[in-house]
Amino acid sequence: MNKNKIIFSILIIGILCFFISYKMYNRPHANITESTPDITLTADTIIAAFSSDETKANSRYLDKILNITGTVSEFKLEKNKGIITLKTNQDFGSVLCHLSESASQNIHSLIVGQKITLKGVCTGYLMDVILVKAEIINE
Amino acid sequence: MKSTYLLLICFLFSYNMQSQEQYLTKNGAITFFSSTIIEDIKAENNQVLSIIDASKSKMAISILIKSFLFKKALMQEHFNENYLESDKFPKATFKGDILNFNNVSSLDAKYDVKGIITIHGVSKEIVVPTIFKRNGDTIFVKGEFDLLLEDFDIKIPRLLLKKIAKEINVTFEFNHKPYNR
Repeated sequence: MNKNKIIFSILIIGILCFFISYKMYNRPHANITESTPDITLTADTIIAAFSSDETKANSRYLDKILNITGTVSEFKLEKNKGIITLKTNQDFGSVLCHLSESASQNIHSLIVGQKITLKGVCTGYLMDVILVKAEIINE
Repeated sequence: MKSTYLLLICFLFSYNMQSQEQYLTKNGAITFFSSTIIEDIKAENNQVLSIIDASKSKMAISILIKSFLFKKALMQEHFNENYLESDKFPKATFKGDILNFNNVSSLDAKYDVKGIITIHGVSKEIVVPTIFKRNGDTIFVKGEFDLLLEDFDIKIPRLLLKKIAKEINVTFEFNHKPYNR
């Protein structure tokens, strides 16, 4: 009787462990739409931070969920993926936002010159600051 | 006097632009595959910066490691934190020459691109056979090559050795547009 109980509990723990590790292994990406942004700022602020001190800006903004407000200077669909360029006050460099699949479908309602807020994950700075998995917050 | 200067500067500038013949894309695509019996792993990066200087037959590419997106969140985390250490080495770069580069026509033309690739802080010379094609005013470039993880000092824990291939297949597709400063 006692032996059976022990075997049974070990079995339960085993199944639980397997289930948890399986769940962790297949854990989905953080949901951008539902999560609150880590930092809210403007396109001008973030490009200034990256162009003056990239290392410092990297440690502050990389992998963070950002709400960036700026003026649309260009938008396009490339291979069904929406890309919005936000104008900045710098000669070179803008904020390039690659939209999520669902947000890409709403891209044609935009107008060049309109003010917009985008929420996405910052991956770094090449010629421009890059935001991926972006969602359009307001239009 | 002033206007003469202005004219001269304008002339020089336009001349300079013509002779430079630069092409650029900010949303090139790079995909890599790791294929083993247990699992196929794929990651995609659509924010690749690539520049071709046609007059000097040069090519330069810059990539953000964190822009590689995986299907599984855990894999992306391991890739960034443990293998590529993207906080320490946020970018991968390539700089090289397009060998025997002539005119790019509307037909596929194969040229070898030879240069230095830097990943995970380690630089290595590679030669990549690449297809060039002109499409209106754009230059389309594509190709693929294999990289050995150990060449770039990327260590995989023994437990995962069977899941991650030692040799990673990399494919790229860039659609360069004329670049006017």
